Amino acid sequence: MKKIILISMVIGTILKAGPLSVTALPNLSFKLMSGESTSLNELLKDGPVLVDFWATWCAPCKKEMIHLDKFHKKYEEYGFQVLCISTDSPKSMSKVKSYIRSKKFKFLVGLDPNQQVAQKMNALLLPTLLIINQKREVVWFHQGYILGDEIEIEEQIRHALNIQDEISE
Amino acid sequence: MKKVILLLSFSMVCAQVSFTGNTETRMGENRSGFYYNETLINTHLQYGNFNNWLQFEFSDPPELGRSLNGLRKMRLEYDQGDLSLKLGDLYEIWGRGIVLNSIDDQPIDRDTGIRGLSISYNVHPFEVQFITGKAKFAQSSIYAPGFDNRVHNYITNHNLYGLDMTYMLGNHLIGTSFLQSKEDHADALSDTLNIKNQLISGRYSYNNTLYDFYIEYIMNRSFEFEEDNASYRDHEDGRAFYGNLNIYLDLFSINMEYINYQFGALDPLNRWDIVSNYGMFQPFQNPPIAMNIHENVLMNRISHQSDFNNEVGYKIEIMGMLRDWIDFFGLYSVSSRSTPWVLSSQDYSWQKEGEKSHLPISDLAATPFRDVYGELSFNLLDGNFHIKIGAGDSYDVTELTSHTKTDTSSAKYYMLTSGQTFPLNFSYSLENGWSVNAKIETQFLSKGFGRIETLNGSTVIDTFYSDFYNDINENGIPDNDEFLDFETNHFMSISIGKSPRWSATLTLDRTNISKTGIDDSHHLNPLEEFLGIDQTKNWVNIEIIYNVTTSMRLSLLYGSLKGGLICTNGVCRIIEPFDDGFKLGLTTVF
Repeated sequence: MKKIILISMVIGTILKAGPLSVTALPNLSFKLMSGESTSLNELLKDGPVLVDFWATWCAPCKKEMIHLDKFHKKYEEYGFQVLCISTDSPKSMSKVKSYIRSKKFKFLVGLDPNQQVAQKMNALLLPTLLIINQKREVVWFHQGYILGDEIEIEEQIRHALNIQDEISE
Repeated sequence: MKKVILLLSFSMVCAQVSFTGNTETRMGENRSGFYYNETLINTHLQYGNFNNWLQFEFSDPPELGRSLNGLRKMRLEYDQGDLSLKLGDLYEIWGRGIVLNSIDDQPIDRDTGIRGLSISYNVHPFEVQFITGKAKFAQSSIYAPGFDNRVHNYITNHNLYGLDMTYMLGNHLIGTSFLQSKEDHADALSDTLNIKNQLISGRYSYNNTLYDFYIEYIMNRSFEFEEDNASYRDHEDGRAFYGNLNIYLDLFSINMEYINYQFGALDPLNRWDIVSNYGMFQPFQNPPIAMNIHENVLMNRISHQSDFNNEVGYKIEIMGMLRDWIDFFGLYSVSSRSTPWVLSSQDYSWQKEGEKSHLPISDLAATPFRDVYGELSFNLLDGNFHIKIGAGDSYDVTELTSHTKTDTSSAKYYMLTSGQTFPLNFSYSLENGWSVNAKIETQFLSKGFGRIETLNGSTVIDTFYSDFYNDINENGIPDNDEFLDFETNHFMSISIGKSPRWSATLTLDRTNISKTGIDDSHHLNPLEEFLGIDQTKNWVNIEIIYNVTTSMRLSLLYGSLKGGLICTNGVCRIIEPFDDGFKLGLTTVF
């Protein structure tokens, strides 16, 4: 009986999993690297937000962040923001600010040392990306980073911003 | 179980309820009989200010830990502006986690969650949190009966309550914490002892654009209940200090960390015995360490094991950009016990030698650790071509087995792991979504027993007995004539990917030695046969990742794994050794 329930639940969720269901996230609170706190509503005031879960020991996350910083600068004028949430535990937390400052990244950086926010946003793997619209709905979700994913990421950002023109540098 | 499903169904049909969640299924089987099958289902329900988290596990058996079929975790949260209430399984962190940092680290099956109530009140600039609850901490120990690598064999029950307060004044933040746990501790004779542990801390941090720093001082006291007097008597009394200074300059940043953990010094023979020793470092603490978590596989395999009861150390990291396209990273970290240890000439019991040091000691009798690492990264062709080259040197005295001393002589026997590692990684992505990634790591590793004897201040004997033999002979017995000073390890992987859909990685992990007393023969798999390599010293696997949809990811691995931290296909994880078999993983988000 338990196996039947398990199989039904897994199949059910798999069928539901593609495409991602559009449900509003709660108004989650974040601790920022600067020491301040903010909320999802606050971040979404001017436009959609791309949330990225990463850690200082995650090499693919770092490769992806180079592109995310470019997108943050490129689409800032549309009200778009990138929020990279570090899931570093206290074992590596002290390195987060040094790393961000040394790379001169301009995007927002959040801290989630016990992965409570990651859990609520279903970030099972690193990196995980979410694009959230102003209704707090997850309009795009992506797990892992394969080189070249930045093309798809930019397309999804432009889709969220309703930009129809050709991509230009 | 039925009630939970009913509750879940009822909640889902209610209007204005937001429902999200995920599933994670992992299964694997190999020719050595290792088998696991586990599914985790997380659901998040939100209704107004209420949030509900349920986690179900269906495992028989899981990769690590005990089988469970049913509800594993649950929590109900209520948030209204300044006030936040949580009821259920709590995972909280105070400051840098030196007093409290409860985690659920499933890859290593470490769960230090507390089941209880948390009340937080946050009115800027003041923040306070009260928690109370019960916890059952499961650990693995060779000092408890029934030791098994896959399943915990030692459990302690705790009843906790605590309070954490912070006050922010401009760029300054001060905080204080108090946490008490009453513990039922089963000792080596299986008697249950009643222990009361108390932790009090004060912390201060300051940040501005040029630098920031953080300091925290912690006192721990423990008491043991005496049945005869029906009262608690003093048991242990310890102290700890943690400091972190970051400096941000135009061209580079410097990160410095200092640890001085003195929760209770145990002698070299008993330092890992969590059964006979109690009232010191607690499982719900998970503090910073003065060492780096390396991204490369081979350096992580020889990571230093921190002794949180007694360790002094510091770490200095420098990182920055030489050009827009060249990054550099340098690291120097050292740690040791706060005093050397020596065997008493009278009764051969271990004794501390000299006063406590607040800086790491290089004396072998204080089991020193040192890690030096440098790395250059090149991001070329608009971020599409990456090259990373590094070099690391680590030195770790893992155990002191004997140290005798007279007025004129001393003799030390110790276990040492030291290695030089050279990682190289390059990746290239084309505009049409295709990419290639290659990783080559080489390590020269020494591991074994050292002996050093001095007479009148001069070294008379300095020898090292390696763990490694050159080869095993035709009868499968180590050929003990051929000791090797070091083991040469290679880790190589090559990935081809097509973004955003799939990637495939071939990994080869190889060594040149046989270890003494360990049967390292394993099954020859078709990949190893195809490549014509010696399967006793090579581990080969191929892994395919397929993103079925943006929210569903499938992975399939075939082959053998040596184990360790592996980052491939964009995901990092710690992998246990695995010999010729399949691993299947499926994650979905809904």
